[in-house]
Amino acid sequence: MQALLDNLDRLWSGFLTTLGMSVAAAVIATILGTILAAFRVSPLPPLRALGATYVQLVRNTPLTAVFFIVIFGLPAVDVTFQNFFIAAIVALSVYTAAFVCEVVRSGINSVSTGQAEAARAIGLTFGQSLRDVVLPQAFRSVVPPLGNLWIALVKNSAIAGGGFAVADIAQLAPSLARDNPAQVLAIFGGIALAYMVITVPSGIAVGVIERRTAILR
Amino acid sequence: MSSDQATRTKQPLVALAGVNKWFGDLQVLKDINLDIANGEVIVVIGPSGSGKSTLCRCINRLEGVQQGEIRLDGVLLPEEGKALARLRSEVGMVFQSFNLFAHKTILENVTLGPIKVRKVRKAEAEQRGRLLLERVGIAEQADKFPAQLSGGQQQRAAIARALAMEPKVLLFDEPTSALDPEMINEVLDVMTSLAREGMTMVVVTHEMGFARKAADRVVFMDHGKIVEEATPETFFTNPRSDRAKDFLSKILTH
Amino acid sequence: MRVRRLTAACAALGLVALAGCSSEAGNDATAPDATVPVEEEVQFDEGTTMAELAEAGAITVGTKFDQPGFGLVSPDGVPEGFDVEIAKIIAAKLGIAPEDIEWVETISANREPFLQQGQVDMVAATYTINDDRKELIDFAGPYYVAGQDIMVAAGNPLGVEGEESLADIRVCSVNGSTPAGYVQENYPDADLTLFDEYSLCAEALKNDQVDAVTTDNVILTSFVAQDPEAFELVDNPFTEEPYGIGIPKGDDDFRTFINDVLEESFEDGSWAAAWDATAGAITGAPAPEPPAVDRY
Repeated sequence: MQALLDNLDRLWSGFLTTLGMSVAAAVIATILGTILAAFRVSPLPPLRALGATYVQLVRNTPLTAVFFIVIFGLPAVDVTFQNFFIAAIVALSVYTAAFVCEVVRSGINSVSTGQAEAARAIGLTFGQSLRDVVLPQAFRSVVPPLGNLWIALVKNSAIAGGGFAVADIAQLAPSLARDNPAQVLAIFGGIALAYMVITVPSGIAVGVIERRTAILR
Repeated sequence: MSSDQATRTKQPLVALAGVNKWFGDLQVLKDINLDIANGEVIVVIGPSGSGKSTLCRCINRLEGVQQGEIRLDGVLLPEEGKALARLRSEVGMVFQSFNLFAHKTILENVTLGPIKVRKVRKAEAEQRGRLLLERVGIAEQADKFPAQLSGGQQQRAAIARALAMEPKVLLFDEPTSALDPEMINEVLDVMTSLAREGMTMVVVTHEMGFARKAADRVVFMDHGKIVEEATPETFFTNPRSDRAKDFLSKILTH
Repeated sequence: MRVRRLTAACAALGLVALAGCSSEAGNDATAPDATVPVEEEVQFDEGTTMAELAEAGAITVGTKFDQPGFGLVSPDGVPEGFDVEIAKIIAAKLGIAPEDIEWVETISANREPFLQQGQVDMVAATYTINDDRKELIDFAGPYYVAGQDIMVAAGNPLGVEGEESLADIRVCSVNGSTPAGYVQENYPDADLTLFDEYSLCAEALKNDQVDAVTTDNVILTSFVAQDPEAFELVDNPFTEEPYGIGIPKGDDDFRTFINDVLEESFEDGSWAAAWDATAGAITGAPAPEPPAVDRY
């Protein structure tokens, strides 16, 4: 534990990096994933194909490979990011969006078709009926699985620090372990605890949101 | 018919010409030709599976058709898209299972269309919404959620929601079939008063009492075809086709 | 990379005792020919580690799986490299054939726990001897002395000359490694990028995402050898990194035995042959002078 206490400033800055990276990626992934889900249920076949291709491509690629492609592959085609932190947010967002898409799509499918029909019948466009009628109900039914994705995202962000040049909590562990070989277990345990400081409250928050948004059917 | 009505019927409000529709191999609408005049109340009856609900749903293109033309006020129904949405806003629809928006209050259900489609200001939409709820007799339910209402109340709210768009025509797809018997009349009463006020209505129903009382014309369908069209008086007392006779004998001889 | 992380995760969670965390690699060694004949008859004092290992006829060795020239796992799961050959020489003197060595991947962060908990009998994994580590484990050797150096893009566009330049350039190293620690310690304001593998640092250097890579010269030399069009070694080492064989703390008999074996290999040419077959084959450099074993 001493090694962690001696490096509280680095732990704190790593913690903020992990938190910032995770929150940014969660927001982007949720928006992007929802747009993709809208594509997947769209009446236009090209959009449906685009959504389905994205999901198949990204969902079946290991996150490490997504990181590799974003950080080293994209520069080859002249797409570069300001720094590795931004690149990591992009990689995490792109990856998580595929899963958000499928979760939201299952939520959309759980809303009875009558809801969408009624929305169309009063003259709402496809986009309006999705936004004002279907998605608000879909989201309520997928809060728990979305929460799981957000929590998984926080932990997945460790790949950015563990392997891809972002100075987050995970990146701190190996150098502390090197400098304090006697405290390796305590260091990794402390690192795990730091993640829990983010993930456990997230889980509780998700539960609160779930209860608050529950609707009668 | 008065001369006023005669001029209005010159161009039908809804016109179906040569409409054919298939679900896979099954033909559910066969060569449908039907003109509906402004202010007319049409009741569509027929055995289950006769295609009467499908006919109703085709009029606002919730179902597409493979052949034939459907015109509203002389305008051909457009393909899926913004133009169709605009056109649908002029055709109200009331569903068998109400389909109120479960996450919105009754008042929000009624104001959503005016606000989003007609771009009416919220305060104005709410004021008119409350008036409509009063008209269908559920003003005091405005701030509840659909699941807190009885079936009859929900269906009346659904009618108010359709009316909020000030539609040219109202479609009713078996509006009382999902209701407990004691709630049927409260819905039929609202529909009857709408009919009296001159609303153009297409009603798919098994309620023969309503058909006798409110319909200008009864359309009898069987196996996807319009078998017979007549005034309620003629249809119920003197049906021409055997199938109509058979159908009526089954439902009227209790 | 995946295997590595699994191992790290297991270590991190203290699950090292689970069989699932140990590598199954390496029962059909097809690596370069063992240059040292396996002893037929071995005799050790009762109760020593050597006697136990010789009796078992098998040994578990921790090594790197991702270090070209030292310990790089081949597609069939068997690591190859200088560290691996040194371990084979030691095993041979215990009467253990290469195919009876079980190779376990060790990364920088789990070498001490693996030794302390008996997951491995010894570690030969570009393992720098230092005093911090000596408090937890013991080292035989050194059997090689590396030095931290800097690799830059071919042509050295920024004119990097030595360690003083580290303060002014974007430098890349591997997280948790000794060279990274050297930069953090001595140039705390350096723009240091940390990946988990040197190959990623090399890629970042190619993409101009960093200006230099710093680590032990032997590792850098292998990158330059693989892609001389892209990379160039500054060749001005500024540290001494004596590589030792890590063994459990306090096993002085075993340490003395390994030191004897190493010295013997320095003299009989098997050490140089191991170098030529591995790291030397990559860099093209002849075997250096063997270091003096430190019998502390």
